[in-house]
Amino acid sequence: MPSTQKPMRYGHTEGHTDVCFDDSGSCIVTGGSDGDIRIWENLDDDDPKSINVGEKSYSFALKNGRLVSAISNNTVQIHTFPEGAPDGILTRFTTNANHVVFNTDGTKIAAGSSDFMVKIVEVTDCSQQKSFRGHDAPVLSLCFDPKEAFLASASCDGSVRVWKISDQTIWPLLQKCNDVVNAKSICRLAWQPKSGKLLAVPVDKVVKLYRRNTWENQCDLSDNFITQTLNVVTWSPCGLYLAAGSVDGCIAVWNVDTRQCMERIKHERSYTICGLAWHPKYGQIAYTDTEGNLGLIENVCDKDGKKLSAKVPSTVTKEYNDLFDGDDNDFLNGDLTELQSSPKVTANEEDDDDDLMLASGRPRHRAAILEDDENSLDTALMKVNSNLEGDEDDQADGLSVLPGSSTQRPFYDGPMPTPQQKPFQSGSTPVHLTHRFMVWNSIGIIRCYNDEQDNAVDVEFHDTSIHHATHLPNSLNHTMADLSSEAILLASESTEELASKLHCIHFSSWDSSKEWTVDMPEDEDIEAICLGQGWAACATSALLTRVFTIGGVQKEIFSLPGPVVSMAGHGEQLMVIYHRGTGFDGDQCLGVQLMELGKRKKQVLHGDPLPLARKSYLMWVGFSAEGTPCYVDSEGIVRMLNRGLGNTWIPVCNTREYCKGKSDHYWVVGIHENPQQLRCIPCKGARFPPTLPRPAVAILSFKLPYCQITTEKGQMEEQFWRSAVFHNHLDYLSKHGYEYDENAKNQAAKEQQELLMKLFALSCKLEREFRCMELAGLMTQNVVNLAVKYASRSRKLILAQRLSELAVEKATELAAAEEEEEEEDFRSHLNAGYSHSATEWSQPRTRILQNDQVEDSEEGDAAEEMEEMTAVQRHSKKYSEANKKDPTVPPGNVLDTMSKASKKTPASTSRAGNKQESPVLKPLIPKPKSKQALAASFFQSRTPSTGDKTMEEREEKAEKDVPETAAAATETIENKRPKTGFQMWLEENRGSILEDAPDLEETEIIKEGMSRFRMLTSEERMGWTEKAKGGTADSNSTEVKKRKRPLGASDEGRESQEEKSKEDLSLPRKRKPLDQPANVKLSAFAFKQS
Amino acid sequence: MGGAPWAVPVPVPIPPAAPGMDPAEAEFLAEKELVTIVPNFSLDRIYLIGGDLGPFNPGLPMEVPLWLAINLKQRQKCRLIPPEWMDVEKLEAIRDQERKEDTFTPMPSPYYMELTKLLLNYASDNIPRADEIRTLVKDTWDTRIAKLRLSADSFVRQQEAHAKLDNLTLMEINTTGTFLTQALDHMYKLRTSLQPGESAQSQDF
Repeated sequence: MPSTQKPMRYGHTEGHTDVCFDDSGSCIVTGGSDGDIRIWENLDDDDPKSINVGEKSYSFALKNGRLVSAISNNTVQIHTFPEGAPDGILTRFTTNANHVVFNTDGTKIAAGSSDFMVKIVEVTDCSQQKSFRGHDAPVLSLCFDPKEAFLASASCDGSVRVWKISDQTIWPLLQKCNDVVNAKSICRLAWQPKSGKLLAVPVDKVVKLYRRNTWENQCDLSDNFITQTLNVVTWSPCGLYLAAGSVDGCIAVWNVDTRQCMERIKHERSYTICGLAWHPKYGQIAYTDTEGNLGLIENVCDKDGKKLSAKVPSTVTKEYNDLFDGDDNDFLNGDLTELQSSPKVTANEEDDDDDLMLASGRPRHRAAILEDDENSLDTALMKVNSNLEGDEDDQADGLSVLPGSSTQRPFYDGPMPTPQQKPFQSGSTPVHLTHRFMVWNSIGIIRCYNDEQDNAVDVEFHDTSIHHATHLPNSLNHTMADLSSEAILLASESTEELASKLHCIHFSSWDSSKEWTVDMPEDEDIEAICLGQGWAACATSALLTRVFTIGGVQKEIFSLPGPVVSMAGHGEQLMVIYHRGTGFDGDQCLGVQLMELGKRKKQVLHGDPLPLARKSYLMWVGFSAEGTPCYVDSEGIVRMLNRGLGNTWIPVCNTREYCKGKSDHYWVVGIHENPQQLRCIPCKGARFPPTLPRPAVAILSFKLPYCQITTEKGQMEEQFWRSAVFHNHLDYLSKHGYEYDENAKNQAAKEQQELLMKLFALSCKLEREFRCMELAGLMTQNVVNLAVKYASRSRKLILAQRLSELAVEKATELAAAEEEEEEEDFRSHLNAGYSHSATEWSQPRTRILQNDQVEDSEEGDAAEEMEEMTAVQRHSKKYSEANKKDPTVPPGNVLDTMSKASKKTPASTSRAGNKQESPVLKPLIPKPKSKQALAASFFQSRTPSTGDKTMEEREEKAEKDVPETAAAATETIENKRPKTGFQMWLEENRGSILEDAPDLEETEIIKEGMSRFRMLTSEERMGWTEKAKGGTADSNSTEVKKRKRPLGASDEGRESQEEKSKEDLSLPRKRKPLDQPANVKLSAFAFKQS
Repeated sequence: MGGAPWAVPVPVPIPPAAPGMDPAEAEFLAEKELVTIVPNFSLDRIYLIGGDLGPFNPGLPMEVPLWLAINLKQRQKCRLIPPEWMDVEKLEAIRDQERKEDTFTPMPSPYYMELTKLLLNYASDNIPRADEIRTLVKDTWDTRIAKLRLSADSFVRQQEAHAKLDNLTLMEINTTGTFLTQALDHMYKLRTSLQPGESAQSQDF
């Protein structure tokens, strides 16, 4: 039966942690640097009894109902056990004691201190003290000889000393044993129990066993598994096995007889093992690490093995016993110092082996007799013995080796399953803390105080205009909380009497009852909660996710595929992270579900695997302020959902790069995409901050892990893609009918195009023409034209040629899309398919009006520039037309009107207004319908300009219900409409198009038709249009007129109109001046031409 | 017809530069110093003559001039984060250094006294161990002023023509500057008027 390693659990705060079993083995006792001694019924005990012994406990020892601890006020204190009542101070040092130990019967303690002193004190009478001076450095650890003749101590001076207690004479055993690098190891020594025949000292990677009295290095225990310095050793109570723990988290157990390693256990996180304790009866080892975790290994060296190895040596010992019998008495009280003075005793290797075997394999009832053997060490005799028993030795060896090999269980060397991480709330600190953050998010902070006198929850809002700070009693012992701008959500686990409760304080409710509670069914515990906009959700131990409205109506309920880890809500989105399965070798195996709980419910991520760094676990999960799912793992990598690449996860920041120290961390509290901010709290030497002093938020910037970030190229590439990734949310928002800042979108597009242009210039300089073409593929048509100019100026004619081809291609695409729109506009039709016609590479978001700056830079150039400007106008027209729908916005600078429009939106109530003023922290509020339509008109469609009411309504409905099929819907509507000129023309000419290219598809036919239609003269086209309109043309023609003179009698407008007619291209599209400067330039250009 | 529309407003005559400054004036200058606050409201960027401020994001630390910080604090619109040096350990070190050295040691801020006074008066609830900080800064101040007096004294006694004083803050200069210069003037006058008398006396003898 292999030993099983139970998952580690949190025991204490970081720092040295000691562990032992109580005398009967009924409970595990740990002491940590938080000054608490905790008594655990078992490893799963979630409510250990704590005895606070001081500010910091360095070491403790337990025996006979007395708990002795070395604490930070330089004293060694006694407490009763298990009551924990203080029972006085035993002794004091000038500085803190590092280790305290009891002797076997519990009458004395020994304590070693950093002031180089070792003291032995009677437990009942603290005036009986013996001090041992001699170490030249702080004493690390101590160990009583079971027979109380000696005391072993290890010190930072590199020595291990064995002190003779009676007369306090000193003989250093390992004087300046340079192997003991004590900075590395605390060098916990151990005498073999009962007999005290061997002293085990962890030295570097081996355990050295020293024989009593001769103080020779009898043998070393080592194993390849141990790669780092050993920190602690401990014997099994039977004295047969020895366990050692290393600074890198390896625990090995040897059979001391055979010197074979029987168990190899690796700490799950490779933290330093600093406490090891063997269960007094069973094969259990409890261990602790320097991070305060407690672990348990079960079935160590199980019964079968024990029996075998116990049985075999017993036969041997009998014979030995007879042999030794006569000698015992002579040396029973022999002078030890004499023996010591002749350390040249050179028992040969065989002897040592025998003795070792005897010592460890001896049945207990014979121990008393055999122990005397060690005192009667006599060189001569030993030699005789060895000669005499040559045969027996062989026999013994043979016997002991055989069972040894049979006890060796097959060692499983494959991947080990990782314990699953426990559920947590994002932005909370560990539950066991008396003062903790229940949540810290972008809305506010909830703190929980769980002292003896007070159990309360403190809610504080970053923005006091949302709600004032509140203080709530926490009588139900809530452990989970979430906070939104509408409500506070609290949840508690079930107790014996009470069911698990969900408690919501809906402070933004307009009625007078602002609170509601829901009890979970029996045996169902809430494990994670979250708040969205207008809803709350909780995930329970029954693998269910329950959704409630914010007012307390139960809504959807769905099963989770695995135990929940955490969940987060934002707007309509709910994200649940759960265990998809068991991870191996330290990895977690998590899955993520992302769903939208709005009017049309859908699942976006269907339980996809959640990528985490190797051997890390989830630390934080949530949404950016703009609503993009993000999460942080324990390696400090922040990842964000990249909606632009099929909902993949992209690492956007590595917080560990910003940390100064190795143990420093950043505790993430919020992520903002615009401006790009990672808000987090720097924690020195910890993973999470304390509540006091109040931590300050720091802002980190994002950085995508692109290659060669030090070069200019790498930097710009990183910037470009970061900009692209961090503006994905705008597309998402526009698709979901949220209001957002168009300005930001334009800015982003401008920034991206600028970066592309810079990259283009760089590649040009490096003579990388193919790369130039690739970059141009990412550009918008306007910028491609600039690139053409750049290429021709830098005398790259082939490139310029290719680029201009590309530009033409792009222009036609753009025009086709535009045309389509135009056509449909005549029919007062919404063009939902606009963005579909874009090429794969050019992101629709980049097709935004060109900025002034670019225009400036190219003023005074030839006809291609003209084309560019018209393109600009084509773009801008969309905006200005959209703006026209809002009658309050005067036509003018597009950017101005846009920002105004977005500012004007705050809703009616003052509170809501306040919220909206904040550009970053506000929850996203779906716009009123009219706005929605406006927003929609910006990006995918046009609102009808000729008021066909029913049509419009139907269409809106269609869009709302099934926007995915919007295109289809529009098609059906199309059929009912009067035909446009283009359609009529197309019908007549379809045949000829098909003749030319018979294998064209329908959309391609339309495209082709459009390009042909455009080649017609404007009069011809007008004719077709008139033909199509027939009788109903009246209203439309007035509209056309209006469109011709959008600014009424504006001079520029007229001028541009004139100019337009002069132009060869003579675009059929009626332009609308986008903004004054462009127009002025245009007209100036026109005058120059003429 | 007194107020003729074409009358050019008479410029207010600028008073001759005062020999020293009021403590209030020094304080006024100190109010331009930037301090960190955590606002609990949100506001877009505000455009002021002295420069743009903001945007204000609730819960996010930002730097604003002291005058605004105090104003916001008084209206309970922000929480103040004390400057890094406003910490008992650091100030103890500064005080000890100041006591140890004979010359003036550099101060953490050129307006340390003004900042301490204003912040402790208006935002003492956001500054841990405010009373100790007050005492420490006062101790440091006293030490420096004592040094200043001592050096002025030796300056006058030894009738030096010039002296160099490094690391003095504006407030410190103004506490003695006016008095010292005036005193030197007077002494000069006295000496010059005394000189002939002395010589006359000597002539008499």
